[in-house]
Amino acid sequence: MTLLKVKNLTKRFGGLVAVNDLSFEVNPGEIVGLIGPNGAGKTTVFNLLSGIHASDAGSVTLGDREITHLAPHRRSLAGIGRTFQVVRTFEMTVLENVMVPALARDKSIAKARETALEVLKMMGIENLADALPGNLTLAQRKRIEVARAMATKPRLLLLDEVLAGLNPTEVAENLPLIRQVRDQGATIIFIEHVMAAVMKVSERVLVMAQGALICCGTPSEVTNDECVIKAYLGEEDPECSQ
Amino acid sequence: MKPKYLHAIGAVIFILLLLVPVFFKSTFVLHIYTLIFFYVALTAAWNIPAFGGQLSLGHASFFGIGAYTAAILYVKYGVSPWVGLLIAVGASLLGGLILSLPLVRLRGPFFTLASIAFAEVLRMVAIDWRSMTNGSVGINIPFKPGFQNMTFTSGEPFYYLFLATAVIVVLLTYRIRNSALGFHLRAAASDDEAARALGVNTSLAQFLALMWSAGLTGILGVFYVFYNYVMEPNTAFSMDLFSLQPALNGIIGGMGTVWGPVIGAVLMTPLGEFLRVYLSTIQQGLHYVVYGLVLILTVKFIPGGILSILEPLINRKKKDRDNPKEKEERS
Repeated sequence: MTLLKVKNLTKRFGGLVAVNDLSFEVNPGEIVGLIGPNGAGKTTVFNLLSGIHASDAGSVTLGDREITHLAPHRRSLAGIGRTFQVVRTFEMTVLENVMVPALARDKSIAKARETALEVLKMMGIENLADALPGNLTLAQRKRIEVARAMATKPRLLLLDEVLAGLNPTEVAENLPLIRQVRDQGATIIFIEHVMAAVMKVSERVLVMAQGALICCGTPSEVTNDECVIKAYLGEEDPECSQ
Repeated sequence: MKPKYLHAIGAVIFILLLLVPVFFKSTFVLHIYTLIFFYVALTAAWNIPAFGGQLSLGHASFFGIGAYTAAILYVKYGVSPWVGLLIAVGASLLGGLILSLPLVRLRGPFFTLASIAFAEVLRMVAIDWRSMTNGSVGINIPFKPGFQNMTFTSGEPFYYLFLATAVIVVLLTYRIRNSALGFHLRAAASDDEAARALGVNTSLAQFLALMWSAGLTGILGVFYVFYNYVMEPNTAFSMDLFSLQPALNGIIGGMGTVWGPVIGAVLMTPLGEFLRVYLSTIQQGLHYVVYGLVLILTVKFIPGGILSILEPLINRKKKDRDNPKEKEERS
């Protein structure tokens, strides 16, 4: 039984085909890395999965439910959680940030506070509960975003570059987070440019270029694939090889 | 989570306000106080959609709908204003429903423009629908004192009525802001898309906020018209008095906060009355210039409103009391 089934998904922005006839599946409990050069359409895929953009063609199925035309908040309630490439925390305390998704599911403030504290503890940032995100480091704010997404109790979690912009120490600190989150029961697709992280954490890697899926396999398979090398480094230039 | 001494201060102020009519017999003093309470309530009601970041400049619409509904029911059909109040709230909610249709797609400045247009259209309707509204001549509430007619021989009942309304509306907005709806609105104001991605139905939250606001504003319209006895389209749907004034109070006090509208209304209402009386002897409309200046200076130098200056002071005091050690270290 697959958790996520994406079939022939297509998205055009004017004349640009950002996502072109994309099909893939994700199994429950998997950690899937989504990589590709800049402009490959990775974030657009996330926006299509989370419903922020409407797709032009194709379908998305979560479990046994088709969610292609569901509004973003309904998809979240159906079990798709996400973070944003550029951190988008709310202008309220860290605890309140994490309470928002809990309150979208149960109106009780006391329960939401409890859930939020639990999630913060799990993420190891309960000491930041009363801080304002604006005063925190990028690494901390990225953790808050993950915590906020985890408070939606997602079946599928989409992590968009949670390691980008962090220094090596912070990367090392935040890296175990991905496995940790999966062990809480979420299946993960993550976009990442920090290749060491992708190789270390993902069980399977999807490679996109110019809106299409060009390769899919284990990290070592993907790094040795000719198409992938071509997509990242370009065609071999005959003049240079002389 | 507010410090305890603020509760005490609030209670003392409330008791003093209860005693004002006992000690001040001047109708002018009572009128000013009544007007302040009215604007505290109106601004607090206006502020509910502002929790979600929506700036309305058309609250005169809900105000006028409420006022006209109760007045027409009373004058034409002899319905007691207290019963009319319920129907007026219903009518204002219907107005809120109509304005919330564009709210599904319009946010920010576009919603603001839609709200202005809505109120202006209703003003035109009130002018032209003569058979019902008496057109520009307006409607006079006959002076028949009695509780069931919401008409009183002295200013005191309305003083207490508006005081109670102000307290209730402010407490209500406090409850709303600290409820699930309040969290959803604040999240939507901060980042609508992120809120939706977390499962928040932001359109529903904005809709509910507007409905609360519309209903409460309608109630104020009813009270106001029976307080003043007269009403015509240009006052009932006055952009100046009931659309801009609450927005101005709210922005100056602190838009989207619970206490900002209270501060704004308490400061701006007496100032407004004073300016209207004294500056109009020099040049009609001069008080608008002063309003404009105050607004520009506020937005320029304290965009969070007066409350944003006061809050750190209050919180610092609280912190010092909670952690006396920290204070010693700091000093």
